[in-house]
Amino acid sequence: MDYSEVTERISRKFSKSGKEIDRQKVEGKLRRLIDEFGVQPSEAERSVSNELAKEFNIPAAGSGGGTGAGAGGATEQKAIAQAQPGDWVTLEGKVVSLAAPASPAIAQSGIIADESGGIRFVVWAKSNAPKMKEGAWYRIESAVVDEYKNIPNLKVHSGTTITEIEKTDPLIPEPSPIRDLRPGIGSVRAKVIQEWEVTHDRMLQSGLLGDETGTVKFVIWKEPSKEKLAVGTVYSVFYAQVDEYNERLSLNITTATIMQEEGDIVTATGGDVEIRGAIVHIAPGSGIIKRCPVPGCNRALSRQNYCPIHEIQPNFVYDLRIKGWLDDGEKTHNILLKRDVVEALTGINLDQAKEIAENNPLGMDEVFLQMRDKVLGRYVACKGREIENRLLVNTCERMHFESGEHAKLLNRAGGAP
Amino acid sequence: MSGTAPEMGRRDGSFEREPARRVFASELRECRYQFKDGEDEKSPTFVLLPTGERSNRIFIVGTLTEKTRQGEQNIFYRGRVIDPTGTFFIMAGSYQPEAMQQLAKIETPAFVAVIGKPNLYQKPDGSYLASVRVEAITVVDKDTRDLWVLDTAAHMLDRVDALATGTSPDIVKAKEQYPSVDPAVYRKMAYDALAQIKM
Repeated sequence: MDYSEVTERISRKFSKSGKEIDRQKVEGKLRRLIDEFGVQPSEAERSVSNELAKEFNIPAAGSGGGTGAGAGGATEQKAIAQAQPGDWVTLEGKVVSLAAPASPAIAQSGIIADESGGIRFVVWAKSNAPKMKEGAWYRIESAVVDEYKNIPNLKVHSGTTITEIEKTDPLIPEPSPIRDLRPGIGSVRAKVIQEWEVTHDRMLQSGLLGDETGTVKFVIWKEPSKEKLAVGTVYSVFYAQVDEYNERLSLNITTATIMQEEGDIVTATGGDVEIRGAIVHIAPGSGIIKRCPVPGCNRALSRQNYCPIHEIQPNFVYDLRIKGWLDDGEKTHNILLKRDVVEALTGINLDQAKEIAENNPLGMDEVFLQMRDKVLGRYVACKGREIENRLLVNTCERMHFESGEHAKLLNRAGGAP
Repeated sequence: MSGTAPEMGRRDGSFEREPARRVFASELRECRYQFKDGEDEKSPTFVLLPTGERSNRIFIVGTLTEKTRQGEQNIFYRGRVIDPTGTFFIMAGSYQPEAMQQLAKIETPAFVAVIGKPNLYQKPDGSYLASVRVEAITVVDKDTRDLWVLDTAAHMLDRVDALATGTSPDIVKAKEQYPSVDPAVYRKMAYDALAQIKM
């Protein structure tokens, strides 16, 4: 691995405070931490920087015990979009959202933005900084940009000066194409193209947003006055948090400013995959299921009509689905088939399934068994999107014997020396 | 460090199901070596195919020609599933109640698809018997059987091709355990199986 880039970054950071670092020594320290001790590069950079800061008697990020030597002219004023992890910055921006602090050590957290973009900020409780108000502009002098979960994060510590400034710009950010989103803060203009089952009690909604350039997962966590988005509607989403997990981006739009837009967007359908193989398992919970009728809930109910959130729901809604495994001989793919796909594949529609469930002595189990007998062990071609290790199937068709394929294989088996 | 290192294949918390290998009866009959991947009691057991691939699970489609109920207290079913190259011996006991009920219901002969776990047993005379413990079995049509023959032939030819040049741990182990494997035998096996499907 090449350490010169990280060293350069550290060097730049300290030269701003008028300090020269010993590059060789720094590189050696980085190499030791990363190669010998398996420390993550970002953590090694932080550790070496902090050590140097202590040496030079500059308040280190988050230490809170400094003397403010780095304040004033030592940091340069920057546009927010230019702020990189490791920078000491002075910037002016508008607090566009505030979030509930995640820990008592944090006084305030939220997003501050200027014309160039936004950045998440954290004000440490021990910094004794004045409380900032949502919608107001501030000058923040001598704060530190670090990284938290791969996202740049502006840290307000005890050496930082915050002053409110007179400015009333409406500040409307330019939405970026979904393809160009990077971890941090981003704004998009996109359509809700799918809504997924929520996977957590505290989750209000999750699904897929799409624009002309791509798609991205979104999530809204439950907070007072948060509302769900409507599928098929276009929204402008300002200052969403772009997270990265398992090399996939997702938008947390809980604290974002969301505005419904007119018109439509032709969304990119890219990302569809096709997997051919045999269905080797049909999981419990397949067949006919009951869903919670509470608007926006739609969770699958237990046999006793119990919804994990809304308890007993006697006026449930029936639905069809198949959860299972599709196996191509090299890898097994978790698949989820929705009602229309299940109907087309099994030849059993919702009304017929309802009829069986209500009149057969085995009830809903009978639907499961009939569907299993129709699809288990069959070769199918499934097209859909693979999300979080599960293929959400849009179409699933039975495969048929092709004599051309047969002839090709005969040649291959017999044609070898 | 970005989390993409090869050893991260099984990510924390995300379970990866063992794929069902495609194998003809004649190849399974040649198996002599099975091993555990790991020390744990629950570590999966693999049967090593002579063509150089481990199999913890297999998918077979063939004709169920007979089934017999055995045992007094612990009932289990045995069956024979025929493919173009030979016979699979399948069984389902009380530890696989659903599979056993499915097998009990099927009238022979019938085309069946079987998903199951292969196991090797050494008989008193020193020879080996490969049997398949059924996880699931369903009646299917001839189209599915024909597709399976194509699929299995293609996978076996892929394995034979890889055997010539490949260096995967399974291939290395297969060359140790089955020193007399002749790729031509397996090509012929694939050819004969394919030739049995009428054009």
